[in-house]
Amino acid sequence: MSLVTDSPVNSSSSDDFAALLDSALDSASSDSSPVEEAKDDDDVEIESIKRHKVENMGSTEEPDGSTSQVSVTEVLEEESTKQNTCTHPGSFGDMCIICGQRLEQESGVTFGYIHKGLRLNNDEIVRLRSKDMKNLLRHKKLHLVLDLDHTLLNSTQLVHMTPEEEYLKSQTDSLQDVSNGSLFMLENMHMMTKLRPFVRTFLKEASEMYEMHIYTMGDRAYALAMANILDPKREYFGERVISRDDGTQKHQKGLDVVLGQESAVLILDDTENAWTKHKENLILMERYHFFRSSCHQFGFNCKSLSELKSDESETEGALATVLKVLKQIHNNFFDNTSDNLMGRDVRQVLKTLRQEILKDCKIVFSRVFPTKFQAENHQLWKMAEQLGATCSTELDPSVTHVVATDAGTEKSRWAAKEKKFLVHPRWIEATNYLWQKLPEENFSVSVVKNQ
Amino acid sequence: MFFHIVMERNMQLHPRHFGRNLRENIVSKLMKDVEGTCSGRHGFVVAITGIENIGKGLIRDGTGFVTFPVKYQCVVFRPFKGEILEAVVTMVNKMGFFAEAGPVQIFVSNHLIPDDMEFQSGDMPNYTTSDGSVKIQKDSEVRLKIIGTRVDATEIFCIGTIKDDFLGVINDPATA
Ligand SMILES: [Mg+2]
Ligand SMILES: [Zn+2]
Repeated sequence: MSLVTDSPVNSSSSDDFAALLDSALDSASSDSSPVEEAKDDDDVEIESIKRHKVENMGSTEEPDGSTSQVSVTEVLEEESTKQNTCTHPGSFGDMCIICGQRLEQESGVTFGYIHKGLRLNNDEIVRLRSKDMKNLLRHKKLHLVLDLDHTLLNSTQLVHMTPEEEYLKSQTDSLQDVSNGSLFMLENMHMMTKLRPFVRTFLKEASEMYEMHIYTMGDRAYALAMANILDPKREYFGERVISRDDGTQKHQKGLDVVLGQESAVLILDDTENAWTKHKENLILMERYHFFRSSCHQFGFNCKSLSELKSDESETEGALATVLKVLKQIHNNFFDNTSDNLMGRDVRQVLKTLRQEILKDCKIVFSRVFPTKFQAENHQLWKMAEQLGATCSTELDPSVTHVVATDAGTEKSRWAAKEKKFLVHPRWIEATNYLWQKLPEENFSVSVVKNQ
Repeated sequence: MFFHIVMERNMQLHPRHFGRNLRENIVSKLMKDVEGTCSGRHGFVVAITGIENIGKGLIRDGTGFVTFPVKYQCVVFRPFKGEILEAVVTMVNKMGFFAEAGPVQIFVSNHLIPDDMEFQSGDMPNYTTSDGSVKIQKDSEVRLKIIGTRVDATEIFCIGTIKDDFLGVINDPATA
């Protein structure tokens, strides 16, 4: 009895074949110079190489030559001229996308969400972006990067659903025709997803002004499943579906994997911290919490919309509001004909538009920030300034609003006496989300007793 | 390029497969193991077309498994540098386009698309000549030339070009 190896036997015939392939490639290079010199004989040469191969195959049959043909000379010519000049701007399957040469070192940014094995170097990304910009502007479009969770939809794990949410399981829409549904059960992912009201109209109208991308902190499978629900006809996103698997930095989203110039990209996301490098491109969204688990995750202990059998308003909800803003920004970007389009920056347009909202307000905060906190660094202070308000720590006649959580503070009492607006901090937040100065009387402040 | 070749492989079989159906069992396991795989040398094994012979089985010490050397004929597909291939376009974007020829994934970068073809975005992105006569979009059939190949365990990657005479669209689904 004898022991045998695990590996497949390298039989004589497969050795022959491998040797043949090698020799075919070798013979191609050694044959190249005579072929180059005698152009008229190209066909003959190629034929002979081919026949040479077939003969060498011994027991095997003639290869199917009807759709394939070898033209060795051209390759070699191209190779010799390109090898010296090619900068290898990117790779596919570790081969240069221009010269086909095998590249040993991985470099550049991976674009796995577009196609497996694709990488591009910075220069190539810059080149593509500037080409894209011209194309985009010709079509009067800009880029729009959309977050999924809490921005366009809300998802929950099935195991996290409360008894009061059980009724939803019998109300889900069919996954066969998703284009009209808004509540979906994704059994293989053990999840339920609710689309935010107005999202269908939003996507349709936004797609006419923006080239849209999805960018989620979910994984690739989740991103694709959601893209499928939001865009069943594949008219909006194409291959532009980016997940956390595609980012270059952990727990961060970045425009480095988006093939659009930063000056032409807007972002809608409910998580400001995900975009630390691109805050100027960001329109912060009010979070959409439909399921109880989502409220719970963000520390709200109230009943969820699902439990109350209620939902955000279709016509006055966050997506309807932000669509108006997107239209305005698009208008402002393209309608102003005084300077050249290429030089414009959507971040500037966004900033200017935002600064209109509270432009005549002068705000003083009263005990809103922790003592010792540098007031100018507080999120609310910055938010008010971005909305165009002037913030101050001193009371004077030019002050228009005092922001406080307690009507009993000294500054609050001053506001009442001087007939200035006294508002809750939520007034600034809501103004920021809704892009309009909201009626102050809806954000009144009462006296807190136990101080 | 397709080749019809003879290859050999040692098949390990569990004793439960012995008996009247031994030969069938060996062949079906061979098909399962080999078809659809790639090797850098032979390329992609498209199909097993016949069994030349099955050698004497050798019992392995300790396990009772038996190894049979099997010689089989199969059709393999392997792209070569310089080969002209016909492929179906699977995706078009500003970087270029991707195409498939069976198991082969080919990328044609916009550097290697003729300069008179411009990228057009939209829900059906495409590359079109200025007079609109030639259009490359998803599902177009193109003739391209391979300038680089890489064979993995299950996939074959190629770099292609259509920047040359007689290359480009051969069948446009939009006009078909
Ligand atoms: Mg989110
Ligand atoms: Zn190169």
